[in-house]
Amino acid sequence: MDKLLLAEAIVLSPLAAAVVLLVIAPLRRNHAISASVTILATTVSLVSALLLALDFTGNPDLAPVQQQWPWLPAGGHIMATVGVYVDAISAPMLVVVSLVALCVQVYSVGYLGHEPSNDRGRYFAYHALFAFSMLGLVIAPNLLQLFLCWELVGLASYLLIGYYWTKPSAGRAALKAFWVTKFADMGLMLGLMVLYVKTGGFDWTVTPASTLQTIDHEWIAGLLLMAVVGKSAQFPLHVWLPDAMEGPTPVSALLHAATMVAAGVYLIVRSYPIFEGAPTVLTIMAWLGGGTALYAATVAVFQDDIKKVLAFSTCSQLGYMVAALGSGTLVAGYFHLTTHAFFKALLFLGAGSVIHAVHSNNLHDMGGLMRKMKPTAAMFIIGSLALAGFPMLSGFFSKDLILEELLHAGHIVPLACCVLAAGLTAFYMTRVVMMAFFGEPSQASDHAHESPAVMLAPMALLAVLSLVAGLLMGDFVALKDGYAGFHITALGMTVSAIGIAAIGAGIWRFGPSRRATPLGGPATIFAGLVAKAPVDQTFELFYRRVLDRVSAAAGWFDRYVMDGLVNLAGYAVLVAAAKLRKLQTGNVGDYVYAIVGGLIVLTAFGVFGGN
Amino acid sequence: MIGLPAVLLVSAALFALGVYGVLSRKNAIGLLVAVELMANAVNINLVAFSNHWGGVAGQVFALFTIALTVAEVAVGLAIIILLYRAHKAVEVDEAAEMSG
Repeated sequence: MDKLLLAEAIVLSPLAAAVVLLVIAPLRRNHAISASVTILATTVSLVSALLLALDFTGNPDLAPVQQQWPWLPAGGHIMATVGVYVDAISAPMLVVVSLVALCVQVYSVGYLGHEPSNDRGRYFAYHALFAFSMLGLVIAPNLLQLFLCWELVGLASYLLIGYYWTKPSAGRAALKAFWVTKFADMGLMLGLMVLYVKTGGFDWTVTPASTLQTIDHEWIAGLLLMAVVGKSAQFPLHVWLPDAMEGPTPVSALLHAATMVAAGVYLIVRSYPIFEGAPTVLTIMAWLGGGTALYAATVAVFQDDIKKVLAFSTCSQLGYMVAALGSGTLVAGYFHLTTHAFFKALLFLGAGSVIHAVHSNNLHDMGGLMRKMKPTAAMFIIGSLALAGFPMLSGFFSKDLILEELLHAGHIVPLACCVLAAGLTAFYMTRVVMMAFFGEPSQASDHAHESPAVMLAPMALLAVLSLVAGLLMGDFVALKDGYAGFHITALGMTVSAIGIAAIGAGIWRFGPSRRATPLGGPATIFAGLVAKAPVDQTFELFYRRVLDRVSAAAGWFDRYVMDGLVNLAGYAVLVAAAKLRKLQTGNVGDYVYAIVGGLIVLTAFGVFGGN
Repeated sequence: MIGLPAVLLVSAALFALGVYGVLSRKNAIGLLVAVELMANAVNINLVAFSNHWGGVAGQVFALFTIALTVAEVAVGLAIIILLYRAHKAVEVDEAAEMSG
């Protein structure tokens, strides 16, 4: 089949679904139609992406499948293009995005089974919009289209976080996510402006190298990094991600764990030629990523809300990816992105299944669910082990590669942060597993029941991928700068050992023999210090003290100076008009005198005036 | 054969008469007549120059002006009728409501 047609089908089928559902209201109101249209469209995308991606497996130098149409004609030349561009970098991401999206959409059919039909229809319409935006972002042939879709996924995120729109907290969370990421997106916009001014285009392949100095690289990469920090929830702009958990759990799995938040990391991967020339920004990335990995993992230990644990875990894992990309090579961070997408989506879907059963997010309301929900528990444990980097599972390989790259690049402090975070990751995941699935059952878990097959099947697929993706995806995302292939290093084994020790510590601390108790003593003080609240408060302080004052000053200037000038001009016109209107007497004789007078003046001018 | 300057003098006199009429009359019909006088002064000029330089362009223009003046008079008379209906008078200084 024509490859170009496949590439176009990847983005156009969800676009068609989104347009049809958003425009034709009766279809959207019927959840069955809305869900089938969306799932069908995503299936088309997945099959197309798979067919294309198989060609690139182990063959990274294959010519990209691409098609571009001119867009934005500006002063005789084309300012930008839109189109599709599938190469060794975008192909695996397309598969990951469409696969996870499909799993989540199928899962949502069961998860939202009790919602009104109208709401469910709207939900799937948003999902179609998201699928189109995200795939359009990944398949973009230049950074301008990527930026456009970047904003569209932000919109989809806003709509889906606010899905329970009658809940005030959901509305606030949606707004906060939008506000924080929009603030960060200014960096992307400014970065693109600098890029356009310097190179006259929006391409990530910066050629020839001479047109762009190192300082330009630093500026552009730094500004792009700002957007990444917002979208991929890096410190200190991570504050929106835990709040975004107000959305339905499948949304958290797809947008806020597997794909959308990874868009930031993908942006770095995609525009790596720009980042490669910016050594300072790369170092910042390594430190920032390592710091976020450790910080978020620490906070995750103290969360009692199962989704918040996973949210901070996502921040932490995204920190790993950013740190890996800061070490100067592509493949480790990208590899971790793909494996993380599978096991974190699995964990969120598992958490959703539990929440579906006990109707609470709180870990203290769970407990002993192993007996009631064996499949969910088993798959959740697989996800946890993969995340903790248990040997031979997917997280083991990708995390190992990241640490190796950091060591290789000589970033010792970020490396230490990541190793520590790896231990904490194993610890907090063990805590969640112990509190949710083992121990004494709570009142809510007595009535718990296993979720329907439509929810378990997508989880099973993701569980299988979490088990084997580490072995398979390595070749799948093998990029030009090399993937050493299947190998085990001393560093990797050490980290795994730390992880297993942490799992042991977690079992000892939260195990079945002890009723899950909050961490007390010094740990509580520590929790207060590192928790999200201080960061939120700092932002609030900045918002109330600085931003409000600046706004007030700007408002005063606008009200009294700018408006004053405008009003003055208006007043002058009024006064002049009051005088001038007297000229219109309404008397025909006066007009005739004016005409004759004018005639005389004109004649005199014609006879005596100059030439 | 009367020379061109003589004809132009007549025309200028006629035009001045028209201007005087326009400035002095208050009666709308008188105004209209004065305007016609000025138009005919122009017509005389056109014909005189046409005769002086040879060629028919001036005469054609004169005919054209006559046709145009007819239309103008028709519109003018219509306005005067409306003015009379509104004010029961044809003196133009009676109708000064449009003052600023």
